[in-house]
Amino acid sequence: MAEEYAIYIDDLVKSFGSFTAVNGVNLKIKKGEIFGLLGPNGAGKSTIISILLGLLPPTSGKVVVNGIDVQKDPSGARTHIGVVTQETVVEPELTAEQNLMIFARLYHIPKAEMQKSIEFALELSDLVQFRKAYAGTFSGGMKRRLETAKSLMHAPEIILLDEPTTGLDVQNRTQIWNLLRDINKKQNVTILMTTQYLEEADQLCDRIGIIDHGKMIALGTPDELRKSIGLNSVIEVTVDKEELQRAAAAFRKAGLEPTILNNRVTSPGGSNATKKIEGLLNIMSTSKINVRNISMHEPTIDDVFLKLTGSEVRDTSGEYKGKGVIMGRGR
Amino acid sequence: MGLIDDAYTLFLREMLIFKKNIAMNAVRSTIFPLLFVLLLGSFGSAPKNVPVAVVNYASGPAALNFINMLQTGNGVSIVAETTQQQALGLLSEGSVAAVVVIPSGFSTTGTQSTVHVYLDNSQPQSAEVVSTQVNTAAAKLSAVAVQNPAVTVVTNYAYGASSNYISFVIGGILVMVASFGAVFSAGFTVISDRQLGNLKAFLTTPINQISVLISKIAYGTFQSVFSAYVGLVIGLLYGATIAAGIIGLIELLWIILLVGLGFGSLAIALATRAKEQQTYALIGQTIVMPMSFLGGAFVPVTLLPKFLLPVVEADPLTYAVNAVRDIMIKGSLPLPTLISTSVILLAFALAMSGVAYLLFKDTSKQI
Repeated sequence: MAEEYAIYIDDLVKSFGSFTAVNGVNLKIKKGEIFGLLGPNGAGKSTIISILLGLLPPTSGKVVVNGIDVQKDPSGARTHIGVVTQETVVEPELTAEQNLMIFARLYHIPKAEMQKSIEFALELSDLVQFRKAYAGTFSGGMKRRLETAKSLMHAPEIILLDEPTTGLDVQNRTQIWNLLRDINKKQNVTILMTTQYLEEADQLCDRIGIIDHGKMIALGTPDELRKSIGLNSVIEVTVDKEELQRAAAAFRKAGLEPTILNNRVTSPGGSNATKKIEGLLNIMSTSKINVRNISMHEPTIDDVFLKLTGSEVRDTSGEYKGKGVIMGRGR
Repeated sequence: MGLIDDAYTLFLREMLIFKKNIAMNAVRSTIFPLLFVLLLGSFGSAPKNVPVAVVNYASGPAALNFINMLQTGNGVSIVAETTQQQALGLLSEGSVAAVVVIPSGFSTTGTQSTVHVYLDNSQPQSAEVVSTQVNTAAAKLSAVAVQNPAVTVVTNYAYGASSNYISFVIGGILVMVASFGAVFSAGFTVISDRQLGNLKAFLTTPINQISVLISKIAYGTFQSVFSAYVGLVIGLLYGATIAAGIIGLIELLWIILLVGLGFGSLAIALATRAKEQQTYALIGQTIVMPMSFLGGAFVPVTLLPKFLLPVVEADPLTYAVNAVRDIMIKGSLPLPTLISTSVILLAFALAMSGVAYLLFKDTSKQI
């Protein structure tokens, strides 16, 4: 029965010493599905991906990828998986073609099909005329396209995307997404992604799983998730940091349940949301709170996430941890 | 599609990058040996108390005068031997740097006498000291030829007569650049590949991670050989010779390969723990530089203070340097030396690759 699924995870547990990173996760992803795995930093997303790739052994539980038990045959499982990571990984001192050739060999693509795969990847990344150019001379977008095509050149049935669009501008992000959606539709490829851009997950994913402290705390289509938290509207007020507590008090006076996040106070609108917002504005103006922004909107996956995990998915610094300084290559 | 195929693919990748940067690499590999040849080629430090065996077949005051003059200063320290055969035995063992033979007719006043000197010219600085000392003594004695014989010195070289200090220095430099070449190529690529995310990318493909390890060690070894042969060409152009000839080139390749394997593995082991290239460069230098010096790359180990001798004996480069000097200066690598050197260097390489394997195995497991 595990064979019907692209990814089948049964009661997965992974402990590092006394710390349990993944605590009894069950997940069945159908073939051709786009699945989003969301969670705060350290929730266990990356650990699950490492286990799927057979790079980490699970403490207990079973992981099957495309009918292959990952623990028994990690290398075999990896032949069905393409991984697009956070970093843009291309070798700057090799040409586009050489970059692809090396990975064609590492993916064990048969010799007879190797050239075809390289051509396919060059076309996919729109780099045919730059095949002999060194990747170090490429723009960020070109490198990202080369990296994506490189990860897909062995025609994997499953694509793992770890924060796929971090650090990309809007245009490049759209380009990558169009490419992935295209592959998903035409070739019925399964996509499992982790992302910090919740609105992106909302638009793209067939289903979303929210993971926190190693446990799957919600699972369903974006619509189901929105409905499940019983919100029909969200009220959000932005104020100066010093006034957050007073603003929260004003929320409570108006009959709302405030949550403070950065410089915002949010609350579910509940019934009579419009009436409550009027009351809230009155209270805040009499207490002379300087309101920078106020809004009421339909709940988004961000709100679902906030309600379930009590935190925002992105680091408060807004960027993921920087990499060390990269010096000359020393060759 | 086995481990070796995958390792070959990754090695091919290193070679493509190497090819792209070959000009820079060649320049870098040239500067170091060139600098050392220029700096050290004409600058040999004069050793003290060089052991010299003296065989005195003569009797009488003139011979004793001569020996006394030999002992002037602290250039040489004399060991008396009764037969020429015994003395030459000591010379070939390396326990004395020269043998001076005073013939039986030496004492006859006013006659012409010949002193025979046998020099171990594989240690050019010591040979120089002995030569000067003997010639000075002979000249002084001849100056007062009324009581003493006029002395002619005949020098016999133990090894190929053309050997010189350049050959001595180049022998050491080859071993040094070989070990440096491995450490500063393989280790750096491991760190930059980790920083750029290449290591992770390799691990997401179906390959076994051990093939990454193999390819990196192979690359370090390749760079060793490349650097050493660039150094060799410079040495030959500057006047060094390989007394062992063509077969010496092959023997050299073997010794350098073993050095490269050992230090390539050491490099990977260090690079798995050093997160930054600066840290790595510092650690690498701190380890390899003293190993080269203590291995006798530039000065004979006999000149080092006694308390360092255990360290010298534990340093695999000591054996590599000796083997290379045998090949370049003495003209042949005796089979027992070849075997013992190979065993020591192989053991070092095996131990280091074992450590590298253990440290590399649990690295970059998480995506």
